[in-house]
Amino acid sequence: MNIASQSVGGEAVFKPMIQIDLEVKAFLSAWLHCDQISTYSARMISHNRSDSVRHSNLFSSAFNELLEVAFRARHSSGEIACRVSRRGETDRIELTFPCMPEERQFYEEAILQIAGSEARERYLNSVSGDLAPSREVVLLELAIDYNATFRLDEAGADTITLVVDLPLEGLPN
Amino acid sequence: MNPYLLPRFETQYDINDQEFSISGIVRPQSIDELAPSIALLKDSIDRVRGILYVNIRRLTQMNNTAFHAFSRVIIDACRARPDLKFVVITSSVVGWTTRKFGRLSGIEPNITVEEYDSEFYPGQTFLEEGGFIPILRTQTKLTWRHERTILPRHGMQPGIVMADICCGIGDFAVLVQREFEPSRIVALDHARTSLAYARNVAAEFDIKGIEYTYGDASEMLLEDDQFDLVTCRHSLQVFNNPELILKELFRICKPGGRVYITNEKNSHCLGEPRADSIQWTYNEVAKLWAHFQMDIELGPKSRRYLIEAGFEDIRVESFMVTNHDGDPQDFADVIAAWENVYAGEMATKRGDPPAFIRRFRQGFQDHIFAALHPKGYAGWPIWVASGRKPL
Ligand SMILES: C[S@@+](CC[C@H](N)C(=O)[O-])C[C@H]1O[C@@H](n2cnc3c(N)ncnc32)[C@H](O)[C@@H]1O
Repeated sequence: MNIASQSVGGEAVFKPMIQIDLEVKAFLSAWLHCDQISTYSARMISHNRSDSVRHSNLFSSAFNELLEVAFRARHSSGEIACRVSRRGETDRIELTFPCMPEERQFYEEAILQIAGSEARERYLNSVSGDLAPSREVVLLELAIDYNATFRLDEAGADTITLVVDLPLEGLPN
Repeated sequence: MNPYLLPRFETQYDINDQEFSISGIVRPQSIDELAPSIALLKDSIDRVRGILYVNIRRLTQMNNTAFHAFSRVIIDACRARPDLKFVVITSSVVGWTTRKFGRLSGIEPNITVEEYDSEFYPGQTFLEEGGFIPILRTQTKLTWRHERTILPRHGMQPGIVMADICCGIGDFAVLVQREFEPSRIVALDHARTSLAYARNVAAEFDIKGIEYTYGDASEMLLEDDQFDLVTCRHSLQVFNNPELILKELFRICKPGGRVYITNEKNSHCLGEPRADSIQWTYNEVAKLWAHFQMDIELGPKSRRYLIEAGFEDIRVESFMVTNHDGDPQDFADVIAAWENVYAGEMATKRGDPPAFIRRFRQGFQDHIFAALHPKGYAGWPIWVASGRKPL
């Protein structure tokens, strides 16, 4: 069956592009893994975009930030799964990683903030502020600069899936 | 050697231009990794008066950790020294930089962000957008008859990974795709209209496997050592600094791969009858291009350029496009289009007097006359050269 034409309830679904599963331990063994995974995936999925090089650069930029967030969470065990899928002009990143309840709450709140009206202001304040960018700021930046939208999925006990949609094809140059 | 152990970014301060530049991929885990660069930025700020230029044209990636660290230094400096202005220069090619750095001007009015673009290049605007498209089409149709047999001697073969830099409207890439079936073609140009045209053609004819990409040949986002063959046709001659472009072609070529360039020597265009008038005009074409810092005489200099860029096993050959390559009218159309741009826009821009322009036009008309004459002969010589990147 042609995956691209699959649909559920009449709605076109995201077609899988690439998936990378890693032991958290292995992932955390080198900071460069964020860069390597994001760059590799970006290159692999961008060749059939209208401008492959530009798409790859933007995708890598956004994906790397998400991976860095996951890296900095520093969970000591479990698995991390990165899936990239596509529907039309939108690319979807799904990051599944171990997550304690309070952390889940953090993500839930962060996603609400992003949808809120002061998102841009919060972001600007953080740029001129003293603190290194927090996880929340990183997500905010993706929403503001890449028009990313976020959702949280349940993925089992003590794991979550962060679903990020990136409409990079439509980004103004 | 593991490339990931090398520092992948560079910061520099140029005291003469009051310019601090950051290039490469900046993705540190902690700001400690940036300490020397941050110190250099602070030091640069201490030394400048008036304006500090922050050049990030060659910055391809920067994570938020680094962005925050550099931004903070700049924002703090704005607050401590209201006399100081910052101009951040981004590239239109790296999609996120203008947006992200642009936010800084919303925070501090003394920070402005400017996107560097092709307007900064002299001369080329005549050739870049819109009007030249139909000529490029016919030109490629005429040159292809020769190049399809020449290319295999310069590294073209099925299955290779190739790039066509300054691809224009992409006809060459399409012809190569059909004839030689490389596994991948990246085709880059700096004219959005030409790329749009190329993408349309590809979509219309259902041509797959060509990746059209917007970029600046003098600083491409493409990574090092990627392509078996890098072609750059009729384009070194439009840059005031072809060495810079060749350096980039060299960089993206695989060791052992080849870079293939074609260029003209317009003063050697010829025709019979009316040879003298034709020759006079094409000598003037060469001077006109030189006036706009472009070298339409570059063809025979290819060998020197390739040697100086570090290539080996250099192969040079030339061919003559003539009115007998297919329909003489095609040849005549090309000349008419040249007349249009050279004796039109370009001569006018240079401020040439009407008498000169009249004579200048006559040579093109005579070339067309020769091309269409039943016993006539008209030629346009082209130099092909390629070199291998050492292993
Ligand atoms: C004379 S045309 C040759 C086009 C094509 N190779 C051909 O043979 O038909 C020169 C091309 O160089 C492109 N160009 C000019 N400056 C450029 C730059 N900085 N980076 C990339 N392409 C550039 C122009 O847009 C134009 O398409």
